[in-house]
Amino acid sequence: MATPMELRCWGGDWDLPSVHFESLIVLAYGKFAGAKISVKPIDWTWRTITATVPELHFDGCTVIEPTKILNFLRKQRLNADYELTAKQGADTMAYIALLEEKLRPALLHTFWVDAENYINLTRPWFASHSPFPLNFFVPGRQASLALSRIMLTKGESPYCTLTEVEGKIYSEAKECLNLLSHRLGTSQYFFGNTPTSLDAFVFGYIAPLHKAPLSSGQLQQHLKQLSNLCQFCNVVLRNFFTENPPEPPPAIQEPVDANLQKLTQLVNKESNLIEKMDDNLRSSPQHRPHRSDHRPAARSKNSTPA
Amino acid sequence: MSLAAEAFVGQIAAAEPWPESATLYQPLNDEQILLSDNASSLAVQAYLKMCSLPVRVSCRVNAEFMSPSGKVPFIHVGNQVVSELGPIVQFTKAKGFSLSEGLDDVQRAEMKAYMELVNNMLLTAELYIQWCDDTTAAEISRPRYSSPYSWPLSHILAYQKQWEVRRKMSAIGWAGKSLEQVYEDVSQCCQALSQRLGTQLYFFNKQPTELDALVFGHIFTILTTRLTSDELAERVKVYSNLLSFCKRIEQTFFEESDQSSGSSRYSKGPTLT
Repeated sequence: MATPMELRCWGGDWDLPSVHFESLIVLAYGKFAGAKISVKPIDWTWRTITATVPELHFDGCTVIEPTKILNFLRKQRLNADYELTAKQGADTMAYIALLEEKLRPALLHTFWVDAENYINLTRPWFASHSPFPLNFFVPGRQASLALSRIMLTKGESPYCTLTEVEGKIYSEAKECLNLLSHRLGTSQYFFGNTPTSLDAFVFGYIAPLHKAPLSSGQLQQHLKQLSNLCQFCNVVLRNFFTENPPEPPPAIQEPVDANLQKLTQLVNKESNLIEKMDDNLRSSPQHRPHRSDHRPAARSKNSTPA
Repeated sequence: MSLAAEAFVGQIAAAEPWPESATLYQPLNDEQILLSDNASSLAVQAYLKMCSLPVRVSCRVNAEFMSPSGKVPFIHVGNQVVSELGPIVQFTKAKGFSLSEGLDDVQRAEMKAYMELVNNMLLTAELYIQWCDDTTAAEISRPRYSSPYSWPLSHILAYQKQWEVRRKMSAIGWAGKSLEQVYEDVSQCCQALSQRLGTQLYFFNKQPTELDALVFGHIFTILTTRLTSDELAERVKVYSNLLSFCKRIEQTFFEESDQSSGSSRYSKGPTLT
């Protein structure tokens, strides 16, 4: 590894080395595996619109997408998963699939589709980090890509409108965060005492949500209640991305389980609340007509606090 | 189904017992059904058998359009219509039948993660092979999908479906993949499943769960369906514990019933000629 590898990614802010979650995954894995990667942010260059981020350059070959970059690094013998058993490797794949399916749509929505966050935070940040005249195009393009991805993967009928999809993706994301919190428990990393690729993926997805100053962030508030995940984020940042001396971690082992119970109840309560507000679906023509016999009775049932 | 409909269905469902007349709808077995739909349908049938809930399988040409979410299979129980494995699991749970109650939180997290892995990798790979690979789409998928309809409707429906699936593939970044890469992904997914299963009887030791039903549905269908090339089945056959897992589930849950409906489902999957 005489010549360092070059990683092109979005720059950092909000205490993070990068604001883009895919770039964060690669950066975190690089640190865990001890790779010498020189980071070249694409901010204020024309690459903001031409490049697919993150992009790794080494010895003339270019690799894109976090999964491919991680595979490439492993082939270069920079393997953070060396000590995992076969079953733990399988678990890693499964949890990464869970993150992709359940958490990613909600993250994309929080940053790119939610109007308040997009206008107050995401668009100004990306516009200010792109050169003129790209600052007019880059945020809009990313936002429309995010919206189309959400609607195509989650927006199948009967979820034809964005509001119905929103309810579903946020509740799935909260459930996913709860599951991750259950899995992490009280340990420092997901597989024992050394971080692995699963830790890199979880860090990449969760860190922007944890650190970004979002104005409307129901998912962020949910995350803040899962103290072991926040602690995990802070530990990774402290140990791998800052030069400050480590502070002793606060003892939060006990309330973890109680918080989880509360959160599961909160998610259930929230689904009931959404159910009360969602009249559209009950009167949707998709439902069979003979179900209308039950609707009046059901409505009165649903009006009681569920 | 959305949260509202799920909670709504759950409240109604809890009140009534499982009727004898419950029916599962899927496209026609011999001429119309495709690999991915067959896998989903078999997974639901396996799950219901594991819960010992009787269900009749009814093959309809327009099953996809009757379904409330546009996906097959769907079940018609009493007055409710529920489609796809996830909502069906919740529906049966509301009626008091659940396979995953004995699992603790960490195991439940693992089970959900593995189910997402199967959906993310195996199902997407099946859809890719069926609709994004030109040979398979032209020789198998389009003719089969549109077989019950006459021209020009058959033409329109087949191409519309293909366009939809290709759009979805490009949204999730699979459009740029080659067939070889997709086969490689399937291998990796099967390797992960095989390592997780190990030498156990089921994924969570002694009792089958919805994960077992889902894996059985997909693996059995891949093994018994003939496509333009046998590469997919060959990749899966490498993992012998998955093969014996499938045989075991087939023997335990499917061969004891002698119902005439859907008899082709456990002799062989759709054979494509």
